[in-house]
Amino acid sequence: MLYQTTEQHEALRQRVREFAETEIKPIAFQLDQTNGFPAEQIEKFGKMGLMGIPYPKEYGGAGLDVMSYAIAVEELSRVDGGTGVILSAHVSLGTWPIFAFGTEEQKQKYLVPLAKGEKIGAFGLTEENAGSDAGGTETVAVDKGDHYLLNGNKIFITNAPKADIYVVFASTDPTAGTRGISAFIVEKGWDGFTFGDHYDKLGIRSSSTAELIFNNVKVPKENLLGKEGQGFKIAMATLDGGRIGIASQALGIAQGAFESALGYAKERVQFGKPIAFQQAISFKLADMATMLHTSRLLIYSTAELKENHEPYSMEAAMAKQYASDCCQKIVDEALQIYGGSGFLKGMDVERFYRDSKITTIYEGTNEIQRVVIAAHIVGKPPKQKSQRRSRTKTAGATGPRKNIMFNEGSNEEKVAQLVAALEKDGYDFSVGIPIDTPIAEAERVVSVGKGIGPKENMALAEELAKQAGAAIGSSRPVAETLQYVPLERYVGMSGQKFKGNLYIACGISGAGQHLKGIKDASTIVAINNSPNAAIFKNADYGIVGNVKDIMPLLAEALDTGKPKESAPPMVKIKRARPKKQAPDYNFYICNGCGYEYDKELGDEASEIEPGTPFEKLPDEWMCPKCGEGKDEFIKA
Amino acid sequence: MYNVRKVTDDLYWVGANDHRLHLFENIYPIPRGVSYNSYLLLDEKTVLFDTVDWGACRQYLLNIEHVLDGRPLDYLVINHMEPDHAACIEEVLLRYPDVVVISTEKAFLMMTQYGFEVGENKIQVAEGDTMDFGKHKVVFVFAPMVHWPETMVTFDTTNGVLFSADAFGSFGALDGKLFNDEVDFDRDWLDDARRYFTNIVGKYGPHVQAVLEKAGTIDIKILCPLHGPVWRTDLGYLLNKYDLWSRYEPEDKAVMIAYASMYGNTESAAQVLASELCERGVTNVVVYDVSTTDVSYLISEAFRVSHIVLASVTYNLEIYPKMLDFLNQMKSLNLQKRTIGIIENGSWAPQSGELMSKFMDDMKLMDVLGEEVSLASSLNDVSYRELREMADAIAEQINGKK
Repeated sequence: MLYQTTEQHEALRQRVREFAETEIKPIAFQLDQTNGFPAEQIEKFGKMGLMGIPYPKEYGGAGLDVMSYAIAVEELSRVDGGTGVILSAHVSLGTWPIFAFGTEEQKQKYLVPLAKGEKIGAFGLTEENAGSDAGGTETVAVDKGDHYLLNGNKIFITNAPKADIYVVFASTDPTAGTRGISAFIVEKGWDGFTFGDHYDKLGIRSSSTAELIFNNVKVPKENLLGKEGQGFKIAMATLDGGRIGIASQALGIAQGAFESALGYAKERVQFGKPIAFQQAISFKLADMATMLHTSRLLIYSTAELKENHEPYSMEAAMAKQYASDCCQKIVDEALQIYGGSGFLKGMDVERFYRDSKITTIYEGTNEIQRVVIAAHIVGKPPKQKSQRRSRTKTAGATGPRKNIMFNEGSNEEKVAQLVAALEKDGYDFSVGIPIDTPIAEAERVVSVGKGIGPKENMALAEELAKQAGAAIGSSRPVAETLQYVPLERYVGMSGQKFKGNLYIACGISGAGQHLKGIKDASTIVAINNSPNAAIFKNADYGIVGNVKDIMPLLAEALDTGKPKESAPPMVKIKRARPKKQAPDYNFYICNGCGYEYDKELGDEASEIEPGTPFEKLPDEWMCPKCGEGKDEFIKA
Repeated sequence: MYNVRKVTDDLYWVGANDHRLHLFENIYPIPRGVSYNSYLLLDEKTVLFDTVDWGACRQYLLNIEHVLDGRPLDYLVINHMEPDHAACIEEVLLRYPDVVVISTEKAFLMMTQYGFEVGENKIQVAEGDTMDFGKHKVVFVFAPMVHWPETMVTFDTTNGVLFSADAFGSFGALDGKLFNDEVDFDRDWLDDARRYFTNIVGKYGPHVQAVLEKAGTIDIKILCPLHGPVWRTDLGYLLNKYDLWSRYEPEDKAVMIAYASMYGNTESAAQVLASELCERGVTNVVVYDVSTTDVSYLISEAFRVSHIVLASVTYNLEIYPKMLDFLNQMKSLNLQKRTIGIIENGSWAPQSGELMSKFMDDMKLMDVLGEEVSLASSLNDVSYRELREMADAIAEQINGKK
């Protein structure tokens, strides 16, 4: 066999390369600087018939093979890694699951416009607590008869919010782990489907990445993709194919960096000759070229396996892991060859250097790729004991909270109830701290999120802070994007940590990183217009309502009519602990020795998995301590 | 000389008292001594219920000989095989070789293990089996894990006497006064009865509940336990206590402050808290030094009260050993449903608060108050405020104020 691409492949390469060189390359630096999305260019690319390369013509695709698709991603990435991933996420992640698992109706409705490039697709799997481990999926879809009700958040979603069609994974049976996950097709614009934080990324800045927020989104029954419980299978199959795309992206970035460095090395003269002829540099170039070649062969052979319906899961993991690891080395050496010039903004190697890093992370980290590869080599690991769950209900990111909502009556009455609760907890609103007290030293903070709305509403927040005797703080986007407050006033894992007593969160939805920054607060108050906002599950007291209405009422209620006296040194107010609840199942106790069977623990000696109810123990099971049979146990 | 008392018609107490034993089960101090109760029924057949500890054997044999007054001994019912009641089986067999031993399968197995040769003269009974001794009919009811697995109780359906094995027993020698109505039980006996139950049977609450459920279906007139007074009046009083203890419900709305103090500073905080509680009207407060109080007394009080404040110094970055011993005992005896206050002390790296809090969190239904007190060596203005907040929180719960 001859390891070579066909003429048709090379013709396609030329076509995509020409597009990339003329349409993308001139604006690549600008897109990187401004976080811009090449919307017009992508539309044009679609019109060229290239947004659906591997899909059949009858569904609006180009009817080409998987290798052609890989080449297209490679060529876009050779000029701009961000543009490359737009195509990869669209084809492999947003479109493929519908192509592979969709009904004919779903294909007509969604696959056709996606393959034609009229619409952009995206894929929503990753969550705050479900990254590499999809079993932790917390987004839920509840069967409501004629529709599913979707609630939850997805983070780091490529092509969001630009994409029109999203394949979203949610749990339809939270007790069943990965077997309870189902896939749904969700359209942008549906009620309750909004987008969250803008991500300010290190690289691939021309691709759009955002959070998906589902708040009671009604998903019609016919938009279930595959069957209930098949979601994990669909996700894993999709990611296998997606890995070819990301491997190609890494290859393209590396190729672009290599060509740039090679060109520079041939021009740059030191010690009387181009540095390309210095052995130190030429060896680098030799290594880079070798890595590019091996990566390319690995990717193309995997694409061929997929095209011919051969198993390719392991090879796809190898290709993604190897090409992206090589990419890191190649961009590093490329920048090194450029010397000081490569360290400057505007140089393409500087951009390639930053763009490359994501390829070892997304579509399954390279650590996970090795898990996949190793599993193919050594098989399934021996049965793993599931971890013991805590007897107590798991608390949110801010630990156990009171979770008291004031829902009754008018806004004035809700605010009055809140103030009464705070005063009972020991808060004295005749004293206060300056509004500009550093967050880390503040006893109280009034913090605003994007829900604050236009900047003039900040005056309301400042008035509330004054009357609550608090300093002012914010979520990250309010400081970073909206710039309503200085950067050093945003609260969160990456910002300031609040360890004082009272935290009043106004219009803050409660992103994980924000919550981690307030976990030591004694009391958290949440005011937000979305009842499903994560902040409420993490707060002691909550009021659902518009911050514009609630903040002035609260400020008024806290106004003692006198200026706040200077607060005495902070005494930490103690956190409330929720009362323990008895488990909702019975223990069983042995008549022979008093041994207690707790289903949360199971019985390791007899290989009984934790979580096995007593009734489900095999008949031959015996007390592990004294050997009595099952019938010699009494219910506690 | 024999020393017996008549329990009711046909039934005699033939047990013995012991003031020389210092540690019951070689672990529990018994300053008031202990009694080993055995009972002898004179019907058409003669029936001996259980034996006594080896140390009381001679007195016991004299008592049997006197009550039998020349009659043969027909049956020996063994309800419980623990050696403080079964040690004299061999001696009874030697003196009365024709006696037939009545007991459970598990008890006969244990007799073999202890080396008592019963031979063919035995009747192995099952749950609900009955025996007829002439006028008196008895039924055998199994009481597994109260507090041993072989245990049964025997109910005389003729006169309503329940031979209840270790259930309803107590530390303390009888010193003549056999019946509950001959003593001031609340004043002189309740604490020892509680200490006996909680330390010895406390872990097996669900099994005690199972026995109480069975007891509810029969008309008990007289309770004959293997230790302590015989109950012939006000049985509901004791059954109620057993019900509370075995459901791990507190007896009293009360506060126990258990402190571990090396130089008196933690002790001082414990005393300040006690005063603060009394100032708030919470006067059912007891304070114990874990270093000098035998843990069996601490356990007994822990079962009695609704609120337990643990005040401990940090020792080698751990909980002070004597305090840890108390906590371990609480855990292994399955104590639950208590509200816990935590006071920690430490002069350079206080750890005991977090450790004790975690220990309680790992136990069933123990609720730790959020109002924790942290002392750096000794009480100061800030920790005094914390201490008063803890007193407020406890007083609010106990006084039932909003």
